[in-house]
Amino acid sequence: MKKNLKPALIRTGIRIPLILWTIAVLYPIIWMFIGSFKSNAEIYANPWGLPETLNIQNFVDAWSSYNIDSGVFNSVIVTVLGMFLTLVLALPTAYAIERIRFKGSGILFTIYISAMMIPMVLGWIPLFFLLMEFNLLDSLIGLSIVYAISQLPFSIFVLTSFMGTIPKELEESASIDGLSPYGILLRIITPLSTTAIITVSIMNAIHFWNEYFMALIFLQSRENYTLGLAIDFISSEAQYTNAWGTLFASLTIAIIPVIVLYAIFQKRIAKGMTEGAIKG
Amino acid sequence: MVQSKKQKYLFLAFCLVPTFILFSIFTLYPLFSGLYYSFFDWSGSSSSREFIGFDNYQQLLKDKIFPRTILHDYFLVITKVFGIMILAIFFAVALTQLKIKEAPFYRVVFFFPNIMSVVVIGILWTFIYNPSLGLVNSGLEFMGLGEWARPWLGDEDWALPSLVLPSIWAGIGLFMLMLIGGISNVSKSYYEAAEIDGANEWQQFWKVTLPLVWPQIKISILYIVITTLNGSFIIVQIMTGGGPNNATHVMGSYLYQQAFVQFNFGYGATIGVMILILSLITVLVLQFFMRREKVHY
Repeated sequence: MKKNLKPALIRTGIRIPLILWTIAVLYPIIWMFIGSFKSNAEIYANPWGLPETLNIQNFVDAWSSYNIDSGVFNSVIVTVLGMFLTLVLALPTAYAIERIRFKGSGILFTIYISAMMIPMVLGWIPLFFLLMEFNLLDSLIGLSIVYAISQLPFSIFVLTSFMGTIPKELEESASIDGLSPYGILLRIITPLSTTAIITVSIMNAIHFWNEYFMALIFLQSRENYTLGLAIDFISSEAQYTNAWGTLFASLTIAIIPVIVLYAIFQKRIAKGMTEGAIKG
Repeated sequence: MVQSKKQKYLFLAFCLVPTFILFSIFTLYPLFSGLYYSFFDWSGSSSSREFIGFDNYQQLLKDKIFPRTILHDYFLVITKVFGIMILAIFFAVALTQLKIKEAPFYRVVFFFPNIMSVVVIGILWTFIYNPSLGLVNSGLEFMGLGEWARPWLGDEDWALPSLVLPSIWAGIGLFMLMLIGGISNVSKSYYEAAEIDGANEWQQFWKVTLPLVWPQIKISILYIVITTLNGSFIIVQIMTGGGPNNATHVMGSYLYQQAFVQFNFGYGATIGVMILILSLITVLVLQFFMRREKVHY
């Protein structure tokens, strides 16, 4: 009897910090959702309470008068374009490094991987002038290219380690059937790597959707602002305009796609991120 | 495979060259030319660029703000490493060793802030610290500790420590999962053997769990250090912009301010070189100290 009681007690005791942390994580997020439905008067009267009525005015305001519409649009463009570009650039390189024997493949892989550890802040100053020279400064295409290259090392890393698990016989028999190496890459390897491609793309999409600092440096005009910049703009103005409700509504708009992706691909995202971190 | 050498190299070039050229232009070249720019006095236009040798580095030594930014960076590194690792180890052990039915729920919830945008995290926490509306001050007043309430992010002494909490909040989940991965790989037989030897849970944790997940702990610490030195300036920029009175500037946000706000691009590049050097040194030193023989039982 006594023996059974002790673990049960410990388990209850352990639950307290777990539950407290759950509240610490969820409360601010839930509160942000609630805040997005409250009028400014309600936020001031009772900042942490429930709204009296469900008021979608904040979303309407954010969307039409605070540039959130173009922010969403621009973020979708850089996310999709960046995701696509990363794949086009990373897939052939990952295949060549993993499957074709050539001198220097190890060095090449190391160069890509070590770029994950190097602080890119230093590179952002020359990159700024480089983009200016290419006429890609303050351009969504320019930002997408920069994004894609910045995620190349991670993507190559995940793709090569996945391609290592594809049996070689498939390529060999395809090659005997007369398929060129280009055909093998496109028709055999790419479809077989779907799992890894999806993981990489989700991770990259979340990364690009959330990115803030490179957008801050490389975009300048308000019509090109991505969602993060548009929200930051509302936030810095909120001190004077007190448009807190609008701010919460735009934060909610920014976080919903991430929540949806997380709800669908939770396991993949967690796995992709831990594997990406363990490479060191 | 049946193909000539020439075809093989053509295919290799097709696979590797375009990607590597773009990677060189947008990653390698900027890094090296950043190093080069650090020897120039340069306000942005091509005519104003003047070679000044090590003057930027000398200026850096005299700069009153820069040493503080280094301190701030390492303050964040140390508090984050301890805060995140202690909590992450605790949660990882609790979720694996004790049979808690709803463990998957905690895993899913704790990880979520890791994929939230820093913009969202930063703004949310700025509001939590808001002097009049925020959760922290209202909570303190509710508990009768009203005199502790303060404008957290506007207070020179408290602004930097206030940035630690959101960083821990946002970081724990990933490291908890990495440690859970490590703990699940520890064979059950070690614990059974320890139990037979009469070790209690606490001893089992110190003698079995901790040594066997040391590789994961080491990687986690290195990862926290690297990401903090290379990226803490983002949350600084969003929550305080380096203020009040430079009390929260870290090297990265100071670089941004020097280069992209005050247009001292050469000086900014010098700060960037220092970030690179310091983070490389830190990682090497850490790796040396955390070198520990792999445990085999």
